[in-house]
Amino acid sequence: MPEVETRQFIPASRVSIRDPQLRRALRRVGSGFDGARREAIAEVTPEAWEEWREQARQVKEHTLSNLDYYLELLHDNVVKNGGQVHFARDAAQANAIVAGIATSRGVKVVTKGKSMVSEELDLNRALEGLGVEVYETDLGEYIIQLAGETPSHLVAPALHKTKEQVAELLADKLGVPYNDDIEEMARVARTTLREKFLQADLGISGANFLVAETGTLAIITNEGNGRLCTSAPRVHVGIAGMEKVIPSLQDLALFLRLLPRSATGQRLTSYVSMTSGPRRETDEDGPEEFHLVIVDNGRSRLLADPKLREALHCIRCGACLNICPVYQKVGGHAYGWVYPGPIGAIVTPNLVGLKQAKDLPFASSLCGACRDACPVKINIPRMLLHLRGQLAESQDSEVRAAPVQERIAARGMAKALSHPGWLAAGGRALRGMQRVFGNGGGLGSIPLGPMAGWLRSRDLPPAPPRTFAETWERELADRRPEDG
Amino acid sequence: MGSDGQGVGIPAGVAKEDFLAGVRTALGREAGPPQDAYPRLGDGQAELEERERELYHRVAANRDGLLEGLASTAELRGWKVHRARDGEEAIGRVTAIVAAGQVKRVVRSTQEVFQQAPFHQALTDAGVQVVAVARNESQDRETLRRDIIAADVGITGADYAVAETGSVVVMPRAGLSRLVSLVPPMHIALVRPEDVVESLDDVFLLRRLEFHRKGGDMGSYLNFITGPSRTADIEQTLVVGVHGPREVHLVLLG
Repeated sequence: MPEVETRQFIPASRVSIRDPQLRRALRRVGSGFDGARREAIAEVTPEAWEEWREQARQVKEHTLSNLDYYLELLHDNVVKNGGQVHFARDAAQANAIVAGIATSRGVKVVTKGKSMVSEELDLNRALEGLGVEVYETDLGEYIIQLAGETPSHLVAPALHKTKEQVAELLADKLGVPYNDDIEEMARVARTTLREKFLQADLGISGANFLVAETGTLAIITNEGNGRLCTSAPRVHVGIAGMEKVIPSLQDLALFLRLLPRSATGQRLTSYVSMTSGPRRETDEDGPEEFHLVIVDNGRSRLLADPKLREALHCIRCGACLNICPVYQKVGGHAYGWVYPGPIGAIVTPNLVGLKQAKDLPFASSLCGACRDACPVKINIPRMLLHLRGQLAESQDSEVRAAPVQERIAARGMAKALSHPGWLAAGGRALRGMQRVFGNGGGLGSIPLGPMAGWLRSRDLPPAPPRTFAETWERELADRRPEDG
Repeated sequence: MGSDGQGVGIPAGVAKEDFLAGVRTALGREAGPPQDAYPRLGDGQAELEERERELYHRVAANRDGLLEGLASTAELRGWKVHRARDGEEAIGRVTAIVAAGQVKRVVRSTQEVFQQAPFHQALTDAGVQVVAVARNESQDRETLRRDIIAADVGITGADYAVAETGSVVVMPRAGLSRLVSLVPPMHIALVRPEDVVESLDDVFLLRRLEFHRKGGDMGSYLNFITGPSRTADIEQTLVVGVHGPREVHLVLLG
């Protein structure tokens, strides 16, 4: 698995917030992707959209509660189509399977379509370790591969880069003259990668959906690189998390309406490429072998917990990222692993371990925008709260997120709220602090003490000079209604 | 794992039974089909055929509306749409498109639709080299591949065209390479009125039925093409023609 840097969420967020180029890039997320998504929903009418979401949620719920059955059906149909299915418990197993396919087939060059699960497995590194050349072919993925970075967004992996940064990167890594014209840069990528497509012995793709009924792998793309990866090389390997299966071909129509609209506001992407096994005898061309690698890698943990199972409904559209006030400020890299944003804050702690990623469930204002945007109605805020609860109440001090001061403060607050005298004393203490540190307003920061961290990025609004209870006591308590 | 020896050299991973047992443990569930039957899997061939009849009836009753709908949706998705009343007019359209694009080499599939619009001669007369891409006695796969890579235009028919989405659907056919609609920088798709269906559901219904009729074979691929290849991966700025064609024409016969 790629390096897990989720412990660095808070310092990394601070760096991100101060990066003006990232700020500019992230502003486009809200106006671009999310604006387009809203328009697309308005076009089909919000009522129709709600109905589709509900149907999709039901499909996912049904499939996941019977996942073993549908995986077996999928397996049997892929085999019937002439393909092979491999099951991997973790990243090491999945990588070993793909590496085995590559070495036993004498593969030298691999072209890859965009696949989040392969990022999760760090598959490229595993293949490169064998001396195999691996080329990401989605433009965004190609850019971050050249830069040696990880994706910062589920559908637009190089979203954090400006065109000038990309132009410098291409000049540096490919030896082409610096040119920050976006069309020209896309042309350079086309020319460079075209050659690789024709050399490649092995094409690797992810899977947006796996249709159990027919043993079909579906990928949804715009550039055409996915189609090339699955058409030109003599071996095609598809890799997918085990939650990607859907029962019937006819369910696919529903998800094809939901996914592109939610991701980029498109009615449909340029390409939907469905593969059912290798080329048949009568086909003009196509891969001679088809392998499907189905990966668990921690997903059964989510499956086993009824409170978290719905995280596996996710179709990786990125709508929850685009609308999230936290993602819009800190960007994808701050989250420290493959899956950023609100859904990442649930998936990541469960794939890398809660104690590694205990800040992530707190990276949310719980405003609920993600839940409303989700095309499969995942209740993200509920699960974030659930994880916060696990963190607060854990007996394991390494998992427990709340520092001892916070626990004492919470206990004190509970006491104060049940004892009027204590509450009044607390109010007086707060007003005292405000006089000392407050510069005439509310509390902006306190250099030292247990409140320092809390107030570094939060302002406590000014407390009134008197509490309501005091005002009542002094001025209102003697007045009787008959006094007028 | 394939049990036929093809799996040679590949580490075993987890055996299917063990993997599924792990999933069952996570779910707390016994092996077997779902308790509540799934509506979209239970329908048998007779039922699907009934729906197919309904579909063809519905489509035939509204053919003109669907052609209109397809043309306008496809236009919005980036296709350049050309209506041609007959084969003669289609040949004229194709020749004009090719002439406008300063095209030297054209590759085409050998689907039936080309008998309706035999433009081979017209293009050749215009000084364009036309290669029909199909494996036969004289051409091996590598030669065909080189022809496709060298071509400026790829011309194909369509198995379906979807009015809902403005998509052209291609499937494996004798005489249709996967690469003709993908590798050259321009793609021209010839669509017959009888190829047009209303929705994605229609395509999947028909394919499901074929799957049943063929005893459970889907065919190796099914590709939906909806406009030109595009990307917005740099600064969310749209660029057309990344790995696939940058210019796509939909010639609608009838």
